[in-house]
Order: sequence, then C-alpha cells, then structure tokens
Amino acid sequence: MAIVEKPPTPLELAPAPVVVPRQAFGLYKRPVSTTGWKSWLFTVDHKKLGIMYGVAAFVFFIIGGIEALLIRLQLARPNGTILSAQTYNELFTTHATTMVFLFVMPMGAAFWNYFIPLQIGARDVAFPRINALGFWLFLFGGLFFYLSLFLGGLPDCGWFCYAPNSGAVFSPTNGVDFWAIALQITGIASLTGSINIIVTVLNMRAPGMTLMKLPIFTWMVLVVQFLLVFAIPVISVALFLLMFQRVFGATFFDAAAGADPLLWQHLFWIFGHPEVYILILPSFGIVSEILPVFSRKPLFGYPFVVFSGAAIGFMGWGVWAHHMFASGLGPVSVAVFSATTMFIAVPTGVKIINWIATMWGGKIRFTTAMLFSIGLIVEFTIGGLSGVTHAIAPSDWQQTDTYHIVAHFHYVLFGGAVFGIFAGFYYWWPKMFGRLLDEKLGKWNFWLMVLGVNLTFAPMHISGLAGQSRRNYIIDDVQGPWVTSMNLIATIGAFVLAVGVLIFIINVVKTSRGPRNAPLDPWDARTYEWMTTSPPKEHNFDSIPPVHSIDEFFHRKYAEDHDTGEIRKVATAEEIMAEQEANADKHIHLPSPSYWPIVLASGVPVIGLGLIFSVPLAIVGGVIVLLGAYGWALEPSVADDTDFDPPAGGPSKELSTVG
Amino acid sequence: MSNHGRRAVAGAAVAAGLVLLAGCGDSSPLDTWNPKGVDAQKIHDLQWWVFAIAGIVGIVVFAVVAVAVVKFRDRGDDRVPKQVHGAPKLEVAWTIAPAVLLAGIAVPTLAAVFDLTKQDDPGFEITVIGQQWWWEYQYRGSYNGQSLDGIVTSGEMVIPAGVRVPLRTTSRDVIHSWWVPALNGKRDAVPNRFHDWNIQAFEPGDYLGWCTEFCGLSHANMRAHAVALTPENFVAWAKNQQKPAAKPTDPTALQGMGVFAAQCARCHTVKGLTQTVKDPTTGAETEQPVIAAPDQQLVSGAAPSLTHLMSRTSFAGAKYDLKKPGCTNDSAYDQAYVTGTAGNCLNRADLESWLRNAPEMKPMYAQLNDDKKYRGMPALGLSEQQIDLLVAYLVTLK
Repeated sequence: MAIVEKPPTPLELAPAPVVVPRQAFGLYKRPVSTTGWKSWLFTVDHKKLGIMYGVAAFVFFIIGGIEALLIRLQLARPNGTILSAQTYNELFTTHATTMVFLFVMPMGAAFWNYFIPLQIGARDVAFPRINALGFWLFLFGGLFFYLSLFLGGLPDCGWFCYAPNSGAVFSPTNGVDFWAIALQITGIASLTGSINIIVTVLNMRAPGMTLMKLPIFTWMVLVVQFLLVFAIPVISVALFLLMFQRVFGATFFDAAAGADPLLWQHLFWIFGHPEVYILILPSFGIVSEILPVFSRKPLFGYPFVVFSGAAIGFMGWGVWAHHMFASGLGPVSVAVFSATTMFIAVPTGVKIINWIATMWGGKIRFTTAMLFSIGLIVEFTIGGLSGVTHAIAPSDWQQTDTYHIVAHFHYVLFGGAVFGIFAGFYYWWPKMFGRLLDEKLGKWNFWLMVLGVNLTFAPMHISGLAGQSRRNYIIDDVQGPWVTSMNLIATIGAFVLAVGVLIFIINVVKTSRGPRNAPLDPWDARTYEWMTTSPPKEHNFDSIPPVHSIDEFFHRKYAEDHDTGEIRKVATAEEIMAEQEANADKHIHLPSPSYWPIVLASGVPVIGLGLIFSVPLAIVGGVIVLLGAYGWALEPSVADDTDFDPPAGGPSKELSTVG
Repeated sequence: MSNHGRRAVAGAAVAAGLVLLAGCGDSSPLDTWNPKGVDAQKIHDLQWWVFAIAGIVGIVVFAVVAVAVVKFRDRGDDRVPKQVHGAPKLEVAWTIAPAVLLAGIAVPTLAAVFDLTKQDDPGFEITVIGQQWWWEYQYRGSYNGQSLDGIVTSGEMVIPAGVRVPLRTTSRDVIHSWWVPALNGKRDAVPNRFHDWNIQAFEPGDYLGWCTEFCGLSHANMRAHAVALTPENFVAWAKNQQKPAAKPTDPTALQGMGVFAAQCARCHTVKGLTQTVKDPTTGAETEQPVIAAPDQQLVSGAAPSLTHLMSRTSFAGAKYDLKKPGCTNDSAYDQAYVTGTAGNCLNRADLESWLRNAPEMKPMYAQLNDDKKYRGMPALGLSEQQIDLLVAYLVTLK
C-alpha cells in the first residue's frame, strides 16, 4: 500500500509518534531485501517492475521476430518447403499473439509503470502490490502460452481464432485452450493495471499539477487505461464463452446447435479495435515528449493533442465492424462503419500535423530518439493513409484478407508503435540506467530499421493488391510475378530489420559495460521526470516540487516571455536538484516488498493447466490463489523497522539496486 | 480516361510510400485493379481516385517533413526558436478540412455499398458452399429455357458471360470466403448464414479466385474459379450437366466403375452410377443406384460430386489441373466444358498421385477423428492396378 505524501507544512509541530503494527502470527513478515534476486522477485517498486516488464517484453519481441523470419523464409519462394502447413499456421498465430499481447502491450506497461509516477511527482503507484501482480501474471501468462509447445502443440487458429474453427471439432488439440487461457491471464494483468494507473494519475499528482498540465505521455497513457478498462472485459467474456464451449460443451459458437458464428467476430473486434489504439497511443505519447525536446519548442497545440487522443479513444469504439466488411453484415452496417472508420482518421491526422508544427520553426537536433520520432511520423502516415483506403468498404471487399492489410498494420505497428518504443529507449535510457546508449550505433540501428521496415512491408501493398491472400502457408507461381517477386523482396527486408534489432542489442550490451556517468539532464528536457537523479533514487524525489505550468522542469530552467516567445536560462538541472535535496522530506515511507503477488500469480496458470488436463489440478491452483489472497490481506501494511539490516554507514536514501 | 491512364495517375501519386501495383493483364490473374466484371468495375471506379488522393496527401506530408528537418535543423548557432504553444484557429481549420474531404469521399462510397448490394434476377441463382477445403456450386432456376435445377458441381463455377448472377454463399463447417478478384470483392461463407450478392463477367474466360478467410490446414490450397462461357456454350454445358453419368462400355472402365462403387462412392456422388446387387434369398441380380454417404464419413458431410468430372478443368479444390498445360487454348478450353476434357489432354500424373495418396498432395486430416470422420480425403491404400482402373472410369465421366 502506498502512503500519499503531504507537502511539507510550514507549521512547527512535534513529530507524530510512529505506530508499529503488530505482526500477524509472525508468519507474514514482509520481505526486506534491497539487493539480490529476492529484491526483484518480491519488489513492488514501479521502477523495478517497469524494467522487468521491459526485459520480458523484449525477449518476447525476439521470439516473435524469429517466428516472423521463419514465415518470411517460407514465403520467399513459391511452394516453399521450409515449414509444413501445420507449422506455418502455428507460427503466424504465435507471431501475432506474441507481438500484440506479449511485446507491444507489456512494453507500453514497462514505460508507463516506470515513468507515470515520475512524471506526476509520485513515489509509486496507488496499488503497488497489484502492480507487481500484474507483472507476474503477464510473465506467467506468456510462459503458459509457450508451454503449449511441449504439451500438445502451439495454437494454430490465428491470433483472432475465429469460431467455428476454434471449436473442439475443428481444433481438437490443446493449442486453442492454451491460447485462450494465456490471454485470459494476461488480460487480468492489463485490467488490474489499468485501474491502478487511473487511480494513480487522478489521485497522486504533485501539488499544482492539474490535468491540463500533465505531461503528454501521461495523458495518452491515461486514455489507454480507460480503453483497457472497457475493452479487456469484452475479450474476457469472449474467451470465457470459448473455454466453456471447449471444456464443458457449451454451444455459444456451435453452428450445428444454431449459433451465429459472427458472435465471436463481434466480441473479438469490439475488443480488437480499441486494442490497436491501446497499442499505438503510448508511442504517440512518447514521440509527443521527444519532438518538443529536440526541436527546442513546446508541443504545438497541447490541448488539441490531448483532445485528439481522447477522441481517438472514444471514436475507437465505433469502428470495430470494419474488420468484418466481408463477413456478411448487411449494407446498412457496412455503410455506417465505413463512414465512422473514415472519420477516425481526423483526430490521428491532427496529431501528425501538430507534430510537424512542433518541429516547424524549431532547432532540430538529430539524436537517435529524434530520428525514431520523425520516422514514426513518416511511417505512421503511410500506414494511416493505406488505412483510409480500407475504410472505403467496397474497396475493402477486395483488400480485406490480403497482404495489403498486412502492409497497413505493419506500417502502423512497426513503423508506429515499435519506432515509438525505440525512441523511448534512446530518450529515457540515461534516466533509467545512468548511461547513454551509443549514438553512433543508434543511428545504424535507426537507418537499418527504416530500410528494413520499408523493404519488408512496402512490397506487401503491391502483392496484396495483386491478389495475395493472407494466412497461406505457400505462394504459388499461378499468383503471378508480382506476388512472387514482392515476397522475395519482403523476405530480404525482414532480415535487414533483424540486423537493425541486433545492433540495438549490441548497443545495450556495450552501454552496460561502460561507466554510469550520464548527466542529470542530457537532452535539456522539459518534463517532470527529469527532476530526479539518473537513475532515480528508490523514493524518486527527495521533496515533491510543486507545479506551476506544463513542462514544469523546462520552466524552472528557462524564464519565458509569453509575448515575444523568447526564453532565457535561469537555472541548471543540477541547481534544481540541489534545491530539491535541500528541502528533502523528513519521513519518506515507501511501500514494502511483498511475497504475495508472485504467490497468487503462480496459482493462476495452475488453474489453467487444470482446465485443460485435469480438474483437480485446477482446484489446487485455486487453493494457491486463495492462500495468496489471504496472505496478501493479512500481511502487515509495512515491514517492521527492526526487520531491516541498515546498510553499513547508516540508513541511506540512495537507490542501490536498479540497473 | 482509360484504365491505364487512371492507373498511371494513381501510380505516380502514391509512389512515395504506397507503392502501387502495376499488374499488367493476365500475368496477375488475381489482380484487384484489373476489373473484368461489372461489380469489380464499380469498385475500381470508386477506389482508384481515393488511392490517388491518399498518395497525394502522403507526398505532401513527406515533403513538409523533409523541408522541416532541413530548414530547421540545429546549425550550431545561437538561434533560440520562438516558443509557439499553438494556434487554435489554425488547428480548428486543419481538423475540419480533412473531415470535409472525408465526407466528400464518404458520399460515393456509401452509394456504392448499396448499389453493389442490389441483386438482379436473371431467372436462376447459384448457391456457393464452402467446406474444408473445396467449393461446391448448386444451381437453381433456368436460363434461356434450359433448366439448371439440380446441377451440382465443384471447383469451377460456370456462368454465362454478360449475365449478373445472384449468389448465395454459405458453409458446411467453418468460415470460408469466396473471392474472384477480377469479378467482385469477396464474401464470407458462414455456416447457418446465407449471404446474397452477385457475380458477373463481361467476357467469356476463366477467372481465378481463392478462399480468403483462414479455414484451417489447407486454407492455402482452397482455390476457386469462375468460368464464363458464351450463352450458347453455357446452355450446352447445362444440358450436359443435367444428364446422369452414362454406364461405360469399355471393359476396363467398367471394372473401374466397380472399384469406384466400392471405394469412392462412400463419399463421392456420381448421378446414375449403379451396381449389380444379388438378392441373397432369390439369387436375382438387379441394378441398384449407388448412394454416396459422405455425412457418415466426413465432418463437413459432403464430398465433390464427380458426375461430370471431366467437364471441369481442375480438381482437388481446384489446386491441380485436370488438363495438361498444352491444352489451354480457348477452343480446346471451352470444349472441355461442353464435351469434357479429352483423353490426350488429361493430366494423368497428378490425378494418379491424388488417388495414390491424397493427403500427400494437399495437407488434410487423413486420420479419423473422435467421431470417426475425416476432414478431407484420406489415403485409400489403392493398388496401382486399382488406380489405373479408376482413371479409366473417371475419363468416362464427361
């Protein structure tokens, strides 16, 4: 449990007596390690959790990438023999599921878990143990998904797993069960996390930080959390219906029993469309932070960017059936969704224009973070414009389920979401780890990725319009030379992309061996999170600086004349940090680590295995979850002070373990 | 402006990122920008200029970004950029302008949706049925006085050129999608649902299509053809389809018929196929019709009707050609539809391989599932002699 800090009061009061809660049974002591593996396993610190989210998500990125490379190898030539039909169908299922649910979403969580408290002036999130639970559920859900490889075979129904193909008759092996349960588990992580972040942002902001002074990344993430709150329950329901059908013989999607198979599609896409905005908005937030810093100008039209983000979130609920234009909806539904899909291009277009207007008239520094951000603008525009062509429903009747669609979403997801993620790596690495990623390697990383993205996905626009349909384990000469030649180019491009990613990994390893000597403020940044050490202390801020404007940090360094728009430096980052340290709060209570999130999380995949293989096992899993919940509820709210071994030299407020 | 002229404009406009296809003519049989039927033409008339506008917008955006990164790069001087926070009036304008442009695009789009949904009534309709992993076509009604009732074929949907044919699309198992790009967009085939739409070809020809909704293991091998014949040839074709299969006279083919009745007729229908049945008590021999029972053997409950197999030009879900590559000129082609693929044109090698071991030729579920049914054609374990006899019989199914 977090304890909300009050700002230092000017009154002279005797310090309140410290109340020590009684230990319950002596069994529920809270863990107290500050170093070593235990300090990671039982942590509730948002920064450690953010790093763990990031590492796990990146590993899944590599796995999903290898799956993609195998797919591309198979399609490099007609009638490829590298993969069988069954293996290919498994790989495109796992590639998409991994990239969406186990990479982009958790990587967003990595950034927002680490930076939201820092951006709003909090010392942790509202519910730190729930935060930890979310991480472990994500990790165990992802591992559970891949357990299928050893327990009956990977899922092969596609990441969207349409009914009736997902039913027991057409998917008799356990793959679909593993898919459904894994997504159910990671869904709990997303849902609990979303409530956590909403409460954190609404309740734990620094004094003076009104909502319209929030850093733009925090705003975009707040919209994402509201999308998660309403979207995850929809997929949870769909997955429950599917599992009841597969495990207990229900007939929700059973055509022979009279069901309408389109029910699954509606449920999936009512989740699925807001999901894609969940994937992209954090990256929009990241580049909205980076572009102003490296243009030396504020974000152009902050209120419009905020409102367009909220508009995207809101309008995103009204377009889901554009994934179903050819599915047999009547003309009225098709026409309505075609129109709404066209109009959702408007708020996204506003962002693109505002970003360009941010750069216009600025003084642009081409650091790697900035290159990735500009890259996002260009690549996302390509993906967004091809998306507008899909909104034209009759045209989509030709384009849907072809590689033209694959091209679209890879441009917006790789060129959009992933470029934003990499921009965030290069921008925030010095703050998180106290080291700057190498800029020269960064530029190689960037240019190889730009070349790779365009070489891989641009040809798919052509091969799709030339009639190549999706989810085919082979291409054939009969499809014509445009299909075969474009697939070969795409395969080459995929390997160029892989080299780009490899360069990033080399950059990380090289950087980790270097000295931890990043300055406090390497980029001359604008927002609140930079008013911390690099890396931040465990308690983030010695005192919480009050907020007077958007870009609070920038306005403490520079005085701005609002009439002429001129700025004049009045303080350095070091001076601002010194002032913060001089006013340090006397008592800083942090949430204590806890065993129970990982214990509770470990029971959930056991329930999953039980549902697939043996009901008694599910009961065992349920008991673990129940015990975890009891432990959670009954443990003391803080570790006893006498449990700690203070570091030699006396108690210290320095963070000693991150990075 | 001709199609080529339009395509050139569109191609130039989207060059910078939305590289546009240029599939020329028949080298790209699935080309979605080469309409050969009225519905595909209407889609093309709507979409090409939207792509062009998208391309122009893209080029403008890239140009502005390029100018910005060059003009406003940090040149190492002391310039401090003006801290502009926004320009609300401008921002409202650039919110409204795209909305107006999109509204302009929306109007003809919505009109086209309703226009393409309207069905004509030429006096007949075709029910398109998808199942793992082939297409079946059932005809109802009549055309130019020739009844089409009861015609059941697979692999290729035969239509008269110039006629806009109403289709009803459905499925016997999972969701499929029927798509012949040259003639129209696609429509999903969903069990328990019938989707009404249309197909039309301007000229006679063979138009290639594919299943385009992931439907399991051999989704990639589930092709479709729409074959448009001249009205006279279509009537001749239909007349032939109405006839039951003639009993062969050649003794080898007769033996093959016996093998067929014993092995293949469990699933495959041949109208008119009979076998001699000896009454156990009286000893009298009678000719009894052979009724296929695919519902007992297959999850989908159906297997392709083979009554007029040789009047088609492909088999195995249209994955393999029944005819050799040399026999593809127009007159030989149309002849196959009217009088059957001639013996010298038959692709014996692939047909024999299929009979020898179908799951090797096309991934399918050759093992019985928990309900003792197959999904797809199993390997029958036929001897080479049985295969030769069968082929001798199959070539008589014209």
